[in-house]
Amino acid sequence: MNPRFPTPALPERWPNLAPPRLDVRQPARPAPPGWIRKIHWRAAIGALLLAGILHVTATLAVPLVGPGLAYQKLRELLPANTMVVVPPARPGKQLLPFLMPDAYYGICRFSLASEPVTVSAPLADLGWTLSLHTPQGDNFYVIPGQQLRTTDLSLVIVPAAEKSGDLIPAFTRRPAAASEDQIASPSEEGLVIIRAPLKGLAWKGEAEAALARAKCTPGLKP
Amino acid sequence: MRQFGHLIVNLLAIVVLGIGGGLGSAWYMVEAGSRLTTRSFGPWTTWIAAGRPDADPYTRAHTARNGLLPIASTLELSFYAKTDSDGDQLQSACDYAVTVEGLEGAWWDLAAFDRRGGVIPNGADRFTFSSDTAMREPDGRAVIVLARDARPGNWLPVGAGKVTLALTVQDAVLAAAVYAAGPIKPLPTIRKLGCR
Repeated sequence: MNPRFPTPALPERWPNLAPPRLDVRQPARPAPPGWIRKIHWRAAIGALLLAGILHVTATLAVPLVGPGLAYQKLRELLPANTMVVVPPARPGKQLLPFLMPDAYYGICRFSLASEPVTVSAPLADLGWTLSLHTPQGDNFYVIPGQQLRTTDLSLVIVPAAEKSGDLIPAFTRRPAAASEDQIASPSEEGLVIIRAPLKGLAWKGEAEAALARAKCTPGLKP
Repeated sequence: MRQFGHLIVNLLAIVVLGIGGGLGSAWYMVEAGSRLTTRSFGPWTTWIAAGRPDADPYTRAHTARNGLLPIASTLELSFYAKTDSDGDQLQSACDYAVTVEGLEGAWWDLAAFDRRGGVIPNGADRFTFSSDTAMREPDGRAVIVLARDARPGNWLPVGAGKVTLALTVQDAVLAAAVYAAGPIKPLPTIRKLGCR
């Protein structure tokens, strides 16, 4: 102690300057229910694995066994390799959900089991389409109509392995026309769909007449 | 006895969480989609790989489960709306104005369905408007009014219950932009006019 600067004696009644203890209470965490605390971590991982397996299996299985599969519905209604004209959808008379209501549809269920299938169809206007689908709904070919111009299409659907023409008997081959094309189908069966939207009632007859010319026939000649 | 109880709880947890979580998450991803499989523009949602042979398993499952036959999304897109532009459910008790502008040059079709994709019965036998059939305003817009009772102009009747709007747009440029997650032309707005 420096005698020149003596430390003043603290009064006995000096208040206690120690910081007050703050008794801050943390909000009580809700305790998990007893049954959750009983779950072992191995069981939790097992549940996750099972969930993952079921998730993948269910997702992959739906296109194979899905109850709403469009092809399964149409297969029961449509003969093979024949173009069927379906009038615009009306309540209770609708082939498939979300099908455009004011449109005629020409639908052909093709089967390539014995021979290729030739499709010929006019696409009369913008909005018209000709599309080819597998039974799973994959659209492997589509061609749209052009505005104010009728396009007469002719194409041959062949199994994917036959695209080269090697498996088509030589005597049935013929020179391809300028507008004719071979389309390789990834599946042996599928659907040809011609969509013909109506511009109004005045165009109904025109659309019907155009779709009446659409053909879907087995073999290489329409 | 206590260990037996633990075993039962653990087995139940595996079965319930495993089956519920696995099937529930699969159902959600197949029905509602996610940012991996769908793109949304305001109230409109589209499955970006619908109809494509190289579509992901969720899109293929969605297509199969709902009995759809989509045209490949390289050529045309189908957008679905279950809400208006403010996010409220579309229902037949309310009237809506759907304003189509910015789709010039593209062929489009707008139809009203029930939630399961069925056409809605109505006395006028009117179910859809397209770029060919909708009347235009002087500025080129097409305003389609969804209402139970007759309205002047492009009136699309809706019945009872909730409504799903389906917009089909045939435009390869738009389809490519959606697939590449790029900017696209503005899609129609759906504005609530009033409710009963």
